[in-house]
Amino acid sequence: MSLWVDKHRPKDLMKLDYHKDQAVRLKSLVQQSDFPHLLVYGPSGAGKKTRIMCLLRELYGSGSERLRQETMHFTTPSNKKIEIMTVSSNYHIEVNPTDVGIHDRVVIMDLVKNVAQTHQIDSAGQREFKVVILNEVDDLTKDAQHALRRTMEKYVSTCRLILIANSISRVIPAIRSRCLTIRVPAPTETEIASVLHAVCKKEGLSLPPELAMRIAKSADRNLRRALLMCEACKVQHYPFTSDQKVPEPDWQIFIRETAAMILSEQSPKKLAEVRQKLYELIIHGVPPDVIFAGLLKELVCNCDMSMKCKIASYAAQYEHRMRLGNKPIFHIEAFVAKFMAIYKKFLEEALGDVF
Amino acid sequence: MGDFPDPDEEYELMYSDDLELIREIDDGTDSKKIKNKVLPAKRSLDFSSPVQKPLLHTQQSSANASSLSESYQSQTDIISSIPTKRTAEDLFGDINDIDFDDLGLPSKRQKTEEENDLELINKIIESRKMRQMLSEPNRALLDNMSNYNVSKNLSLKIPKWAFMPFTNWDGDRVYVRMESEDSWEESLDLAPDQISLKSMFTPVWEEARKILEAKKNRIEQDLVQETTVNDKQDFTDLWVEKYKPKSYIDLLSEEPVNRCLLHWLHLWDKIVFNKDLKTVEPQQRNSFSKRTGQFQMSNKWRGKKDEPEMDEDGRPHHKVALVCGPPGVGKTTLAHLLARLAGYRPVELNASDERSTDQFKNALQSATLMRSVLDAEKRPNCLILDEIDGAPIQTVELLVRWCTAKKDEGKKKSRVHVLKRPVIAICNDLYATSLRPLRPISLIVSVGAVCSTRLSSRLTLVAKCERVYVAARALTALAARARGDVRSALHALSFLRAGGKNGDQIKVEDVENIAIGTKDNSQSIMQALQTIFTLNNNDHEAVLKVIQAAGEYERIADGIFENYPCSRSDSRLLVSCAISELLALFDITNSWILRTSNYSMYGVLPTLLARGHDILATRQPTRVKFPMTSQEMSRKKTEMDSILWSIWRGSTVYNTKKSLKLDIIPLLPYLLSPVLRSANIQLCSDSERKSVLSCAGAMCDYGLTYIQRREQNGYEHVIEPDVYRLALFGPEDRMRPSPAVRQTIAAQQQLEVIRRNEEMMNRSSGRPEKCERKVSKKEVPSVEVKESRLPNHLQRLQPKAIERALPQVQKDFFGRIVQVAEVQKQADGVSGLITSSVFYQYREGFNNAVRRNVRMRDLM
Repeated sequence: MSLWVDKHRPKDLMKLDYHKDQAVRLKSLVQQSDFPHLLVYGPSGAGKKTRIMCLLRELYGSGSERLRQETMHFTTPSNKKIEIMTVSSNYHIEVNPTDVGIHDRVVIMDLVKNVAQTHQIDSAGQREFKVVILNEVDDLTKDAQHALRRTMEKYVSTCRLILIANSISRVIPAIRSRCLTIRVPAPTETEIASVLHAVCKKEGLSLPPELAMRIAKSADRNLRRALLMCEACKVQHYPFTSDQKVPEPDWQIFIRETAAMILSEQSPKKLAEVRQKLYELIIHGVPPDVIFAGLLKELVCNCDMSMKCKIASYAAQYEHRMRLGNKPIFHIEAFVAKFMAIYKKFLEEALGDVF
Repeated sequence: MGDFPDPDEEYELMYSDDLELIREIDDGTDSKKIKNKVLPAKRSLDFSSPVQKPLLHTQQSSANASSLSESYQSQTDIISSIPTKRTAEDLFGDINDIDFDDLGLPSKRQKTEEENDLELINKIIESRKMRQMLSEPNRALLDNMSNYNVSKNLSLKIPKWAFMPFTNWDGDRVYVRMESEDSWEESLDLAPDQISLKSMFTPVWEEARKILEAKKNRIEQDLVQETTVNDKQDFTDLWVEKYKPKSYIDLLSEEPVNRCLLHWLHLWDKIVFNKDLKTVEPQQRNSFSKRTGQFQMSNKWRGKKDEPEMDEDGRPHHKVALVCGPPGVGKTTLAHLLARLAGYRPVELNASDERSTDQFKNALQSATLMRSVLDAEKRPNCLILDEIDGAPIQTVELLVRWCTAKKDEGKKKSRVHVLKRPVIAICNDLYATSLRPLRPISLIVSVGAVCSTRLSSRLTLVAKCERVYVAARALTALAARARGDVRSALHALSFLRAGGKNGDQIKVEDVENIAIGTKDNSQSIMQALQTIFTLNNNDHEAVLKVIQAAGEYERIADGIFENYPCSRSDSRLLVSCAISELLALFDITNSWILRTSNYSMYGVLPTLLARGHDILATRQPTRVKFPMTSQEMSRKKTEMDSILWSIWRGSTVYNTKKSLKLDIIPLLPYLLSPVLRSANIQLCSDSERKSVLSCAGAMCDYGLTYIQRREQNGYEHVIEPDVYRLALFGPEDRMRPSPAVRQTIAAQQQLEVIRRNEEMMNRSSGRPEKCERKVSKKEVPSVEVKESRLPNHLQRLQPKAIERALPQVQKDFFGRIVQVAEVQKQADGVSGLITSSVFYQYREGFNNAVRRNVRMRDLM
């Protein structure tokens, strides 16, 4: 645990840096005998997982921190062998069903049932239930989500589910209503800056406030990224200066370059060049929806107000189609082509007005 | 005919053959006069022959004769009833210069003589014309029609102009106009459009043709009736077997191919029939090459000249001939025939035989090492491995070993047998994976599809032999339909024969309708793409059909995607928008089909692609590239994903893949390249050392290691898994630390791994030491060790203490008690042992080693 992100992760609900009243509520919730299924959602890097681990510690004590990684094997109805990695302690098991793609339903049904059907060995000094943590619930297929809803009710006595999602818009209402939804908003920039200061103090470093704010700004309200960036700053150039370069993830820079290319020229030739860039992004594993969001953000900045709405609606439309399809590159390029067409038309009209 | 001496001579020259014939025929009739009489008649006959021929036909066809003659009558009536003076003068003005007396109305006796002659001449000319007409009826018809004006030169009544009467067998008399040379010249000059009555002639010709056909049919029916008698024994043999080539001449495959294989077989002569061929052979080859050098083909089938054709053992360079080609072109036949021709006994091993390695080995041995006993001629074997592309790969490897490894071993050990017989392998697919080891060592002879003209001529032959009457066009169609597959063509022909009702002529329609023997016409993706991108005037259906024939819609969609930006000029990007919308729709539909496994929508996919043709097609030819990018990209993505996966699996800190991918890995390169002076770690400042330590810790957390790998210039530390490739775009090396730094980090990382393992051990041993590591690093280790756990030697000391209770009295050699030295007594004291962390023990005088447990972490 030598990265600051891991090293200085709070372990106790009361030691959390922000959303403190929420932490208090959670603590009191746990201290009652029982608690319902939870659906924790918020953007990435907001501290969902940290809060859940604190909660588990509150529930089961430090035993929940002794984690082990295991690989579990399942067989799909079509006789395909799949394996999935789980992280578990004696009291909980954490799994990311989307790792197995479209077979996530099998994982949910088998794993949750397995866990839920075994009771705790000594229920005397322990809680009566185990906890199953499911990551990225919003990326589950509809089948898997429907498989989940019955399981949630059936095994409520022996197991509690904690679902983690980025947004609940893609979680079906049936599941939403069965859970206590807890929103973990992203920290504000000042909150991030204060966390950075605290961490640097623990490390015995002095962080100039300007640099802290710059890091917080460029981290996109993602605390994990902010801490990593801060540490990267430290590694690159130690006595901090307020105007030193803040390293950023390369893919962000790359998306920005791509957007600049799109804006610079609108022609089929340029489209082919943009395609190469998009391919590069996809190869490096940047999720296509992130590419969409990044491109849109950059493109909209350079648009006339009248176009912004149109562009955004097109982006939404193409992103939706992309989720229905298999080949993201087709859809991203369709969006780029559409944008180019609209932008070019706008430019030509603007020029026509001038003359 | 003294009036026209010159034309006569000319005529003699021109038709001397015919005259000769005539002379032979009427030997008896010698009169010069008759000959003179004949000559002008012949001249006119020459012009009028086409008219006479139909007349002759009418004579033959008794059924239609009356109607024909009626129509003819009416025609001539009309003609003769136009006695316009002017036309008569215009056209026949030169009639006067013909000697009427000479020609005049011939006497009765003369006439019969003349008629005999004329009939003979008619017959000869008619039969010749007939033959010509049969071969190219239209041309002959046209020629004659344009040359000859029927109405003016023929009459059934006695005409006013100079004429020559003819009587046919039925007694009808026709008067043919006699013309002078000049008028003939004039008639030649007439423009063809002036010949107005040409059309009136056609019905007659049509009728005649019908009669001819009827006659032919009658002959055919007779033939079939004959053949049906013979049919019984014919059906016992398959035609494919029956008409198998019996000799080299009969082979249908290309000449260079045949030559190539035969030449290769002859190369074996030296080792197989090693009597005298050894010396003769090179000369033979030389002469052979000289002979064939005249042909331009000679080098093609010979392969490269520089390649030695024989190895040192006197065997051909290629041990195996690999004959490949589509099915049904006669590969097996070729191999068998040539093997027999070269003096071998072909031994065939095909897919129907057991082809496990053992069986195969047996077969190989028996075929190549032994000699057939039963064969009277004692011919050496030639192994033919048919359908080798279906053989298991081990078998092929065995064959390769058999053929190649022997070459080396054969010299060393005489025990091992050298392959001394030719082996011909036959396959359909040259590039089958199992053939990969065989390809480099073998002579590859590819037999192409038989060209359709050769095939159709062979089919004609077969049809003739089988007495099946097939229209020539039908055979050509059949040959084209078989696409060079002789076997399927023959099968189709026999099927047609069997299906035909009592020997009807097999027509083109039958061939077109036949369902067998047609292979699926598969189109390549490239053809489909080319069709999509080029505009032709075909209907939409044609494009759709090509796409459907090609299949693999996803690849075609990829192809469209990759090719559309450079297909049409598209400044406003409207085409791009349209086509990308279309492709998106395709993708959605396709993935819906795949996801739900519901193929009811599958039929829509080619239509979607065909729609792309409407948007993209241009007249100018575009060079379509094969869709490679998407596969290339997916390959790269898999590579990157595997890096991500290994980091994810290796990391001890649990993160979701997404956060690892988007947040942590992109920033890891910055964290893993600390700014260091390139010096020994011991010489670094405290802060530097700390940064190296944290870097090493981070590497341990995420399961990264530096691995020493040998590069072209010395060793290099390479990070594994390669996080830099995943994190960075463009040139990846820009962030990599310098080799010296890498080495330092690598060393530290290894120490960190040891440290962590130890910590793990401690934890598992159950000691409740909290945050011990952090403290211990800074303080002196020995103090901490003492606190936490008993030193090892203290534990050992316990039994010693019991021992001390009854001290052994040491005696010397003679049994006297030895005085223990003062110093030693003090050293034995317990207090001295406990206080010092280092101690030594004197053991019976033979070992005084200092013993102490040392931990790795204390040395670090």
